[in-house]
Amino acid sequence: MNAPIPNLSKRQIGARVQRFEDTRLMSGAAKYIADITLPDMLHLSFVRSQVAHAKILEVDTSMLEDLDYPVQVFTGKDTDGLSLKANQDLPGVQRSEQPLLALDRLRFVGDPAAVVLADDPYLAEDAAELVFIDFDPLPVVATMEQALAEDTTPLFDGWTGNKFVERQMKGGDLEAARAQAAHVIRRTYRNQRQTGVPMEGRGVIADYDKGTRVLTLWSSTQMPHLVRTYICEELGLPESRIRVIAPDVGGGFGVKGQVFADEVLIAWLAIQTGRPVKWVEDRRENLIASIHARDHEHTLEAYVSAEGRLLGLKADISTDVGAYSTFPFTAGGDPGMAAKVMPGPYDFQAYEATFRALATNKCPLGTYRGVGRPSAVFSQERLMDVIAQEIGMDPIEFRLKNVVKEFPYKNVLGFTYDPGSYEESLLKMRELLAEDIKAAEASKASPDSRIGVGIACFIEQTAHGTGDFTKRRSPIETGYISARVEMSTDGEVLIGLGLQSHGQGLETTCAQVAADALGVGPQRVFVRHGDTLTSPYSVGTWGSRGGPLGGGAVHIAANKIADKLRLIAAHILQVADPATIQLDENRASVIGDPARFVPIPELARAALRNVDRLPEGMTPGLTEEFSLDGPKDGTYANAVHAAIVEIDVKTGKMKLRRFVVVEDCGTILNPMIVDGQVRGGVVQGIGSAIMEHMIYDEEGQPLTTTFADYLMPLATEMPEIDVHHIETPTPLTPLGAKGLGEGGAIGPPAAIANAVANALGVEVEATPLNAQAIWRLAKATRSEG
Amino acid sequence: MRPAPFSYHKAERLDQALALLAEFGEDARPIAGGQSLVPMMNLRLARPSHLVDINALDLDTIELRSDHLHIGALVRHERYARESLIAQHFPAFAEGVEWIGHPTIRRRGTLGGSISHADPTAELPALCVLLGAEIIAQSAEGSRRIPAAEFFISAYVTSLEAGEMVTGIDLPLPKGKSSGAFEEFAERSGDFAIISAGVTLEHDGRAITDARVVWSGVDLAPVMAERAGDLLRGKPLSAPEAEAAAQAMSAGITPLDDPMASAEFRHSLIVELTQRALTRACEKAMQAS
Repeated sequence: MNAPIPNLSKRQIGARVQRFEDTRLMSGAAKYIADITLPDMLHLSFVRSQVAHAKILEVDTSMLEDLDYPVQVFTGKDTDGLSLKANQDLPGVQRSEQPLLALDRLRFVGDPAAVVLADDPYLAEDAAELVFIDFDPLPVVATMEQALAEDTTPLFDGWTGNKFVERQMKGGDLEAARAQAAHVIRRTYRNQRQTGVPMEGRGVIADYDKGTRVLTLWSSTQMPHLVRTYICEELGLPESRIRVIAPDVGGGFGVKGQVFADEVLIAWLAIQTGRPVKWVEDRRENLIASIHARDHEHTLEAYVSAEGRLLGLKADISTDVGAYSTFPFTAGGDPGMAAKVMPGPYDFQAYEATFRALATNKCPLGTYRGVGRPSAVFSQERLMDVIAQEIGMDPIEFRLKNVVKEFPYKNVLGFTYDPGSYEESLLKMRELLAEDIKAAEASKASPDSRIGVGIACFIEQTAHGTGDFTKRRSPIETGYISARVEMSTDGEVLIGLGLQSHGQGLETTCAQVAADALGVGPQRVFVRHGDTLTSPYSVGTWGSRGGPLGGGAVHIAANKIADKLRLIAAHILQVADPATIQLDENRASVIGDPARFVPIPELARAALRNVDRLPEGMTPGLTEEFSLDGPKDGTYANAVHAAIVEIDVKTGKMKLRRFVVVEDCGTILNPMIVDGQVRGGVVQGIGSAIMEHMIYDEEGQPLTTTFADYLMPLATEMPEIDVHHIETPTPLTPLGAKGLGEGGAIGPPAAIANAVANALGVEVEATPLNAQAIWRLAKATRSEG
Repeated sequence: MRPAPFSYHKAERLDQALALLAEFGEDARPIAGGQSLVPMMNLRLARPSHLVDINALDLDTIELRSDHLHIGALVRHERYARESLIAQHFPAFAEGVEWIGHPTIRRRGTLGGSISHADPTAELPALCVLLGAEIIAQSAEGSRRIPAAEFFISAYVTSLEAGEMVTGIDLPLPKGKSSGAFEEFAERSGDFAIISAGVTLEHDGRAITDARVVWSGVDLAPVMAERAGDLLRGKPLSAPEAEAAAQAMSAGITPLDDPMASAEFRHSLIVELTQRALTRACEKAMQAS
């Protein structure tokens, strides 16, 4: 906590460097899974369950025999014994397995029961239609209520009921808080099920080379090393002979931040068939059978003093996590995150949360930008507005009274918050909203159109390290990121980054970081990523750690090379103290005497080719590697979001007039990229708040299976997003950076719900706030008019 | 999401297209812009064995023909907005077509395609019914004219028979002074409507002499408000009592009910949108007079 904040030159770090990857991405030169073709490749089509819950009697493949083209078919019986296992080793957890192909039971619409392989993807899809799954229906568990019912049908043999997990977190004396409270306020809040929708769906290609016994797997994944390790363990292959490549990945958002059963299956199929096997997920598969998100219900009870101080909070958190536990974050990941972060930016000393992950016959729930936090912040920040209203305080004033002001701060669960700008960001937001608040007040007289202003104040634990993950006793285990930095004979720099950059701009920010350390221009730095062969072991891109930990690892490794360059330069220039050598503008020069210099490429050549020029005893080479773990409790980014809405009271049509963000992610590596990350996240958060909804009927049939029904935010509906920064560098990461990848998506549901409540003078308890929901909420307002 | 196997035929002339449709009957579908048929085929909800490409046919004229405006089946949606004949004679049509899809859809999608596809809340079917259009259907046997009100039967179901295709529509020109407006409500711009309401008025400069109102989203095909004319005839343009009229003409209507929009919500939108369309149609009439 007391380590000094590094003195950064900031020549490149902090600059608005245009993204290097954009030239490739915007000109059609990017290469995605669908663009990769191997000789003699087989194409795979899944045969998926059309019912939510059933016992499999037989998978009938006999009709394939009549086809006039060759196909191969595999069912659950063929892959018996292979599965995806994602269990926490804790009391209160029921263990489960997801077979690579459904074995005896179908557990959701989209659950794969067989695969057909053919020489052409069209032929594979035609043939897949001819495979019939004969089944006996089982009672469908379609809701959390049904999962909790006494007579629920367990999804897994040997289970009692349908809870993957039920556990508690607590701190302080809740009874004492309740006894002291002047106000006890209890509410129930609900966020709908949705999905993540990367522009590119998932996709996998596997190729097994019998000669070298090397398996190469291309996957549109955020975590190539974890995919490699799981395949090694499940298929019993030496990990040294597995290479996982995530080529250009067209968005991930957490959806691709899990290891999937199909990745293991396709690897196995390539070995079985002796031919490369390719599968490209289509949009319907992506919507119904990839990864779903949110689907939380929370009941909160707050204990508040007469003076408006929050004394304690009790939370009951249920999440509908669908049919299987996902790897590596497990079924308990989302509700556990909500329970952990519910105390938020507020200073209070008594908390108790019960959280549970409920199994239902739906697509598995997994990580999606924000993971549990958007739902937690929705409940927490709705409740803060309700409390403020009940005790007659201004909502911003009430938050100002309760936010943490002194750092480091140990919260009620024992997590230590590093310095942030909670109070300052609220004050800044209040200033920015002055005109909007006036407009909202003026609109209250109108029977037709109401304006509302709502805020959400939150923190985000980012870049958390091994200490946070070992507590979960789940397969994630750790959270470190590694980088290898290598300078070649021409002075160009190659970075092998253990992250996968799929929109984060890491090819640019990591180049900026290395450029500052090595005194070369960022355009001389080539960042390779997403390939287990070109980078040291890392956990992948998730959990808002690319900048702070990936950038930090690059910074440390590059500085080791910089130190060596200075030693070589001092030797060549006959300077006693290498600390008097500076690396800048592609030269190593003597500080205060710039005419004495060696070009950096000359130093690189000395280290790698003309090694007779090295100081005596120095080993040749210019490659360094560093693995950077995150701080145990992470580093806490903070933000205040505000939504300004205008509602047509008669129809329920809501227009977002403006969205304002004040955020603090510590040291900003590239302000342009930070703004883009925030805006992109806000747009997804707006989708969560008002339209994205994965609807299932009572039989567990998904109803929103195309983009005609599953509504994504469109540019036409998006407001101006006004982003402001406060920079409080953290002492916990090498560059002072905190994570910011997810923050944008966390605040909008709460801010928009608070704005709707403000506009209409009603309580808002659920999302999505689509037109019909707003119309219902506006009923009272209409009858006034 | 790949289509089931099909054969592709490119027709150079109308008679060729009709001969192909006659030959393959129920198994054939004409294709032009592909904005509805291709997604349906990719989802395997439509499985024609034969596609007859009609893009080369000479069916893209918009012209005045005595007492009506003819619009060819291959006119792309983006053209309506540039057509002064439409703006001049059919203000409700001009407003309604602005709600069709997005620019990419409007560039490729065709009048004939949208009408033949008959999505229950698409704009063109509702406008055809509102304006009393005649749909021209041709087959190798000959040609017939189908009143729009009889053409749209249910969701994706029309009175077209196997071997027939739409070659255009005729919109009868208003006889006297007229006005019109179109209102639509969708979750996002470019989506199919939850409810839309179209209005046409005939008037003498001061009062309404006749009125027609159409809704989509009420049933699986566009629905005309039966009492619109009776309720509005004689009402002054300056104060048409739009709310009361909208309430009265939608009384007893039971709209569709689904997870996106309940019947109650839809009904409320019918009243509100009808009232707004009616008010604006009257305002336009007043300005023009």
